[in-house]
Amino acid sequence: MNPYAKLILTLSLLLGTTITISSNHWMMAWTGLEINTLAIIPLISKSHHPRAIEAAIKYFLVQATASALILFSSMTNAWFTGQWDITQLTNPPSCLLLTTAIAIKLGLTPFHFWFPEVLQGSSLITAMLLSTMMKLPPTTILFLTSHSLNPTLLTIMAITSVALGGWMGLNQTQTRKVLAFSSISHLGWMTIIIIYNPKLTLLAFYLYILITSSIFLTMNTTKTLKLPTLLTSWTKAPMLNTTLMLTLLSLAGLPPLTGFLPKWLIIQELIKQEMTTTAMIISMLSLLGLFFYLRLAYCSTITLPPNPSNKMKQWLTKKPTNTPISILTSLSISLLPLSPMILTIT
Amino acid sequence: MSLSHLSFYPAFTLSNLGLAFHRTHLISTLLCLESIMLSIYIALPIWSVENQTSSPTLITILIVAFSACEAGTGLTTLVASTGTHGSDHLHNLNLLQC
Repeated sequence: MNPYAKLILTLSLLLGTTITISSNHWMMAWTGLEINTLAIIPLISKSHHPRAIEAAIKYFLVQATASALILFSSMTNAWFTGQWDITQLTNPPSCLLLTTAIAIKLGLTPFHFWFPEVLQGSSLITAMLLSTMMKLPPTTILFLTSHSLNPTLLTIMAITSVALGGWMGLNQTQTRKVLAFSSISHLGWMTIIIIYNPKLTLLAFYLYILITSSIFLTMNTTKTLKLPTLLTSWTKAPMLNTTLMLTLLSLAGLPPLTGFLPKWLIIQELIKQEMTTTAMIISMLSLLGLFFYLRLAYCSTITLPPNPSNKMKQWLTKKPTNTPISILTSLSISLLPLSPMILTIT
Repeated sequence: MSLSHLSFYPAFTLSNLGLAFHRTHLISTLLCLESIMLSIYIALPIWSVENQTSSPTLITILIVAFSACEAGTGLTTLVASTGTHGSDHLHNLNLLQC
């Protein structure tokens, strides 16, 4: 792609995100969301492959509808309350519409059907952008309007997101689709706690971004787009493969690794709010996700592929390790002992 | 709820349903998206009427500008789908199924 076009698109993404995050007026939030949508469409369809174009079409339609719904809910609130302040959304139909609109934008169940297909159609780096950075503005709006969202609807969507993210990820062999379903399941965890303690949502979101970025960058280094490629990726960068296994288990939420921190704090907060059954249900449902994370870890590190490879180092990749991967991976494996400090910050 | 409110809820809802239940062509989806933005744009002066202010606002210009950009992007994806899939029929967009 033309480097000037790429620069303008990347700067537009940063601009849109910044505008939405720093907004007080609903119009600014909508503007930032629209700029983000418009800027990422060429990035998704960069390779002009039919799959990429299809992913771009699906992404555009879903996000444009959700933005229009956000605008309409804020406008009906402005009719009845006379102001456009983001933190003061009080009209009940507007609250319901806003909850639905943010669910569509993020990809919560039952509005999640576009997300695996869009991730599958885009390249690994664009998929990383779609999973991490494009979720930042809607999560910010969720955080700012957390007191005016509909709690019943949010809890139902969160539990079904964790369930469907786990179940639908079980039958996938394409790694981008597996990561899409893991994203849906993590969004369910983030959404269940937003009404009780919004700061835990943000903490879960930041740690999710950390771990998912390191996984996507690792997979981009070894170019593993499907499970059979993952089986032979140990020859390309052996150390990276080991850390990939640990990072996948961190994403699953296993205790000595970083991914356990948000799950632990969310379960603790839910129990404090007398929602013990809900905490038990989502913990059990995230075991389904654990199965496919374990399968990915098994294929990458624990087993050898059936096709023989005589040398350990098959061929040299261009740059098997670089600084961002090493920083993100080491953070996503070993950040749990710092949890008291993290709790004081967030 | 006054009559003006009562007339804009169905306008938006019908456009949304048209977007959700489009059956054959992608361009009908884009048309419904445009009619969503149009219904929001036409409904915006109700806020000024309710507050009895008649000052010019930036909101209308922002809505029109971004809705035009969105329409342009939608048409670009339409042209791209005609280039890669041969038409804008929606049942051709099935390359990415689970």
